[in-house]
Amino acid sequence: MTRNAEASLLASAAVLAALGVALVNFAGGVGFDAQVAVTFMVFIFSFGGVHLALRAWAPTANPYLFPIAAFLAAIGFTEVYRLDRDLAALQRWSLVIAAAFASFVLFLLRDEGVAALRRYRYIFLATAFILLLLPLLPTTWPIYGAEVFGSRLWVRIDLPVGARTLSFQPGEIAKVLLTVFLASYLADRHLAMSTPRRIGPIAVPEPRQLFPIVIAAAVSFMVLIYQRDLGASLLLFALFIGMMYIATAGVTYLVTGGIVVVVGGYVAYQLFDHVQRRVEAWLHPFDDFADTGYQIAQSLFALGSGSLTGSGLGLGRPDLIPAAATDFVFAAVGEEMGFAGSIAVITGYALLIAAGFGIALRARDIFRKFLAAGLTLVIGFQAFLIVAGVTRLLPVTGITLPFMSYGGSSLLANMVLVALLARISHGEGT
Amino acid sequence: MNGPIRHVAAALFIGMAALVVGVSWLQVIQAPEYRDDPRNARVVTAQAGRERGTIITSDGVVVATSEADPGDPQVFRRLYPEGGEYAHVVGYSTALFGNTGLEASRSSVLVSDRDSTISGVLNAVLGGDLRPRGLRLTLNHELQTAARDALAGQKGAVVALDPATGAVLVMVSNPTFDPNTLVGIDAAPVGDALVDDPDEPLLNRAAQATYNPGSTFKVITAGAALETGIAGPGTQFDDVVELELPGSTATIRNFSRGPCTDGGQVSLTTAFARSCNTIFGALGLELGAPPLVARAEAFGFNTEPATDFPAAESVIPDADTFENALAAVAQTAIGERDVRATPLQMATVAAAVANNGEVMEPYVVAEVFTADAAIESRAEPTLLARAISPATAEAIAEMMERVVTSGTGSRAAVSGVRIAGKTGTAQVPGGAPHSWFIGYGPVDPEPGQSQIAIAVVVESGGSVGEDATGGAVAAPIAQAVFARFFGRTG
Repeated sequence: MTRNAEASLLASAAVLAALGVALVNFAGGVGFDAQVAVTFMVFIFSFGGVHLALRAWAPTANPYLFPIAAFLAAIGFTEVYRLDRDLAALQRWSLVIAAAFASFVLFLLRDEGVAALRRYRYIFLATAFILLLLPLLPTTWPIYGAEVFGSRLWVRIDLPVGARTLSFQPGEIAKVLLTVFLASYLADRHLAMSTPRRIGPIAVPEPRQLFPIVIAAAVSFMVLIYQRDLGASLLLFALFIGMMYIATAGVTYLVTGGIVVVVGGYVAYQLFDHVQRRVEAWLHPFDDFADTGYQIAQSLFALGSGSLTGSGLGLGRPDLIPAAATDFVFAAVGEEMGFAGSIAVITGYALLIAAGFGIALRARDIFRKFLAAGLTLVIGFQAFLIVAGVTRLLPVTGITLPFMSYGGSSLLANMVLVALLARISHGEGT
Repeated sequence: MNGPIRHVAAALFIGMAALVVGVSWLQVIQAPEYRDDPRNARVVTAQAGRERGTIITSDGVVVATSEADPGDPQVFRRLYPEGGEYAHVVGYSTALFGNTGLEASRSSVLVSDRDSTISGVLNAVLGGDLRPRGLRLTLNHELQTAARDALAGQKGAVVALDPATGAVLVMVSNPTFDPNTLVGIDAAPVGDALVDDPDEPLLNRAAQATYNPGSTFKVITAGAALETGIAGPGTQFDDVVELELPGSTATIRNFSRGPCTDGGQVSLTTAFARSCNTIFGALGLELGAPPLVARAEAFGFNTEPATDFPAAESVIPDADTFENALAAVAQTAIGERDVRATPLQMATVAAAVANNGEVMEPYVVAEVFTADAAIESRAEPTLLARAISPATAEAIAEMMERVVTSGTGSRAAVSGVRIAGKTGTAQVPGGAPHSWFIGYGPVDPEPGQSQIAIAVVVESGGSVGEDATGGAVAAPIAQAVFARFFGRTG
């Protein structure tokens, strides 16, 4: 029965995306065209495919995960379509590919479930490291790193056919692989790591207990220094510390992690002017309106202009916001769909987080618990980080909004992530 | 294991709740502030292409109007039939550069309410009048054109006021720009060129630029002397060649480098008419800073003008800054050093003398009228301050008249009309001086006869160069406006 509910929810999301495209068309004076039908078909085909994969290989999986993802993807896609039709066409292909990957993951795990991943953890770790290093490849190589908006987190491959370039952000895939590694590693070691040595009343962690934190800080700092990617750096660090806390219940990790964030943040602020600029733009967006504060100021203007009900799809000016289709898609949605749209989106992420942690709480073994919690933490924290940046709750860190931002790597990684969550929830409690 | 998972979940939910609070703050409470921020390009975009009301001069000449696009009757294009002549006051309404001048300050009146917002649609359904309203300016096209022609080819500004009301009759700034060239969406290169132009054509020299007022400031110095009673029109002074300044190696000399008249005794009236720097410097020393600064502030210095168009504040340093700098008091008394005024401010000074010492607030919009040409609202003249007593005003008027009949301002004279004036030549270090003339006429209006007060500034010697004086360069421009006002040719 639940699969039928899922099917109708997924179909509703496809209708939502098609209606969004139709509204954008009408606002632009284009009217009803093939884009509406193509969008509907792509959503039905993609999520329908995942749905069939779930029926086949994980029939008792949580039926709400993919509908929430589809709802967020529909809203995000509509806004991307409104901003740039060429990007939207590419995003549709990304959705098909991401759905295919998610289905393929469900197929691979059809017998053993996520437990099959445990034995490959060091392969995942090595792959994640390689992926994180890929953007540093020299630009003369066939596979090379590229810098966009001052951050070096892209990898490009010049395809032999035509003059096309395939670009992807390996960091997005790496976060999923690292989560699997951490869940697997901690499932084996968590007991040894959760008994700190005591000096009098104070609990002092063993050096080997601190080792993972050192690694976490090192990886995060490397990402920050070499790729200048504040968002990925913070996300990875939060993942490490969060997983460590979940595995050991050791407040030590939270305290040490917090100290590292404060000290590391201070050092980064002193050392890197790109960090300084972000903080300045956060504290005083209107002081340097024309330069560093421009993006956040445009985001605030967009959200303010959107007000309660928004300008209406296609009737606002989200094109004024730099990176509106990617990192700042939330501001574009907030402008055209208003406070109502913003709340709907935040609610979507909250539901996804609730579903994810629910799966973690009910999971039947420790590895599944850690994996479900880690995956949910990644997606939830990433959504929080960028929405908080766009709304000036925190400095802008520059990271994609899961399912909503334009970008194939991000969509692929998050669809696979949700497929893993779904697989964990299959056969809950048995 | 479930305990820590619940904690992490709780932390993320707190984060989500914080986002809800943040978004509520931004999109509900702070929304109007961000929406209406002048830097928010949506404000302009929302009005782009909508019909805007007509702006006409007091004598009915159209200076801004909207024309429907031939292809799409819903889309309008702004037109400025008089080109650059009114550009600094009216401003422009463009898709690319936003709105300026009256197009910005009166935008809500000028723009059509016909739009796709809920209130716009409701208004249309309920049969409200959505057509834009228009503005009738106080500016007079005949006088404006006379001033523009007289100033042509020189950098500077002309401002003329109706002394009794503060209505601005003329506001010309040269060089100017043609707002029609900024309207299109392809106007970026034109706009960039204007911003980069070293002659600053976008600057309204009449109200946004401040200059040393030079000897025109002597009107205020004389006013301060008469109000405090330390001198009268007939008070005699020593006609010294050079005034030594206390506590300074600097001196003040007359423009001629010699004595002002014959080197004997000279009355305040003659010193005013001949613009004797040594005597007014000495008068400043005798007065001291407080009465001088107070008098200037009574005329409107050190107050941000509350005009519909961008206007700079005219400044005189605070009295206490002069305490150990008596030399500065003498130099300020002749309009040099740190005292700076806009032409609009100096026109206001002349107007106050004409208006028995009362300062009226300058304004440029006389009426707002509906699409059916019915008057919706009319400007009310506002008394800002009493700068000097009627007796002082009368005494200064006599001195100013002598400037035109037998002093430095003779070239502002109009036959058959009693004109009062004061010239000024503000020294510019390393360059030709700025030439000033302020004045008004007639000195003794018949009951019901209207007056005109004027200020002219010509930068850097104008067409004359190094030898420029207010009397030679600025006074003839004032004369051209006076002549047109009084219907004389010269």
